[in-house]
Amino acid sequence: MADLAETDEAMTDAAADITDVVCPVTFVKAKVALEELEEGQTLSIRMNDGEPVQNVPRALKEEGHQLLKLSENGDGTYNLLVRKAGV
Amino acid sequence: MASAMAFTNEQLERYSRHIILSEVSIKGQKKLLAAKVLIIGAGGLGAPAALYLAAAGIGTIGVADADAVDLSNLQRQVIHTTQDLGKAKTLSAQETMLAINPEITVKPYQTFVSADNVMSLIDGYDFIIDGTDNFPAKFLINDACVLAQKPFSHAGIIRFKGQLMTYVPGSGPCYRCVFKEPPPPDAVPTCRQAGVIGAMGGVIGSLQAMEAIKYILGKGDLLNGWLLTYDALKMEFRKIKLPVNESCAVCGKRPSITRPLDYEQAVCDLK
Amino acid sequence: MRLTVAGTQKDYEDGLTVAKLIEIENVETPAYVTVSVNDEFAASGTFETTVLKDGDIIEFLYFMGGGQ
Repeated sequence: MADLAETDEAMTDAAADITDVVCPVTFVKAKVALEELEEGQTLSIRMNDGEPVQNVPRALKEEGHQLLKLSENGDGTYNLLVRKAGV
Repeated sequence: MASAMAFTNEQLERYSRHIILSEVSIKGQKKLLAAKVLIIGAGGLGAPAALYLAAAGIGTIGVADADAVDLSNLQRQVIHTTQDLGKAKTLSAQETMLAINPEITVKPYQTFVSADNVMSLIDGYDFIIDGTDNFPAKFLINDACVLAQKPFSHAGIIRFKGQLMTYVPGSGPCYRCVFKEPPPPDAVPTCRQAGVIGAMGGVIGSLQAMEAIKYILGKGDLLNGWLLTYDALKMEFRKIKLPVNESCAVCGKRPSITRPLDYEQAVCDLK
Repeated sequence: MRLTVAGTQKDYEDGLTVAKLIEIENVETPAYVTVSVNDEFAASGTFETTVLKDGDIIEFLYFMGGGQ
């Protein structure tokens, strides 16, 4: 994954929080949030450590989306920055 | 972002196995939730169809049946249980469907379908499922759907066999194209006379639900122009091509049937 | 001649009519069967006069009520 500057948060077109659900709804919710965006737009997804961070980034990549950055928040959650690919 | 997501977390979880499918996703699930399907006959075919359509989240499902649940039904009409004996089939079906999916609306119509009520019954529905067991009703439903230009699934089961076809207005034959008119009463055996293996309803009724779902999603190939036959003992599925019949009395070039018709019922099947 | 009847290829005597085939094949409810020859419906009045030829594909479509 590319390493971006601290200002990447400003680039984000939308944000989703999937810390309130468990797999596979985590992936479903992320997918749904991405569906709302145009191709090329970026989404910031907050997810829990464990199954979500192990599965969701990989699953989104398999769907063809571009993973830009994954950062740890220090509270047991992660932030994934993903760019929507063309469908 | 939260306002863009019209689905609650619970809905995302309930329909997660649908939403993950690229042919469904959120757009498709919304279509299912907005759809209206009518099932005529809550018996061997209608029962499994109703269960799967309720589970799938079809937003409005109509169930039409005049009968009450009786003991011989329980061998195959899996939407009814022993505790429902004597209860109106429409109410028994509604209870089970809402227990599976409380979000949907189930509209019970405790009535026989006849020339007098069929047009208003099907009005407002996107897809109709023929789950009836007699030919006069089947021709009635066919004609009504052709006249109202509504897609429907026709099916029949007996012994260890079943078959189904789908009518899509303007795209393939109707039931009458293939079978011109009802046979005389008692010319063709009924399930009561010949028997039917219970699971046959499940196989064919589920296929009917599948046709409805595919139609609503706008995905996949339907059985318009095809008769799918299933012989359970031979373990054979066959797809038989059905041509359009230009001289069909209801959907042909010069239709002679312009309104629904009541035919005589088979005497031994009258309740 | 070779015909495909209900998906199965078999040899039959030449000059067979649809009506004769229905008899030979022990078709159920023969008075109420729909017949298609090469994907076209054979009008019921023509069963006696329609002669089948080598390579024809015949399907029998039956009324099936059931459902309840």
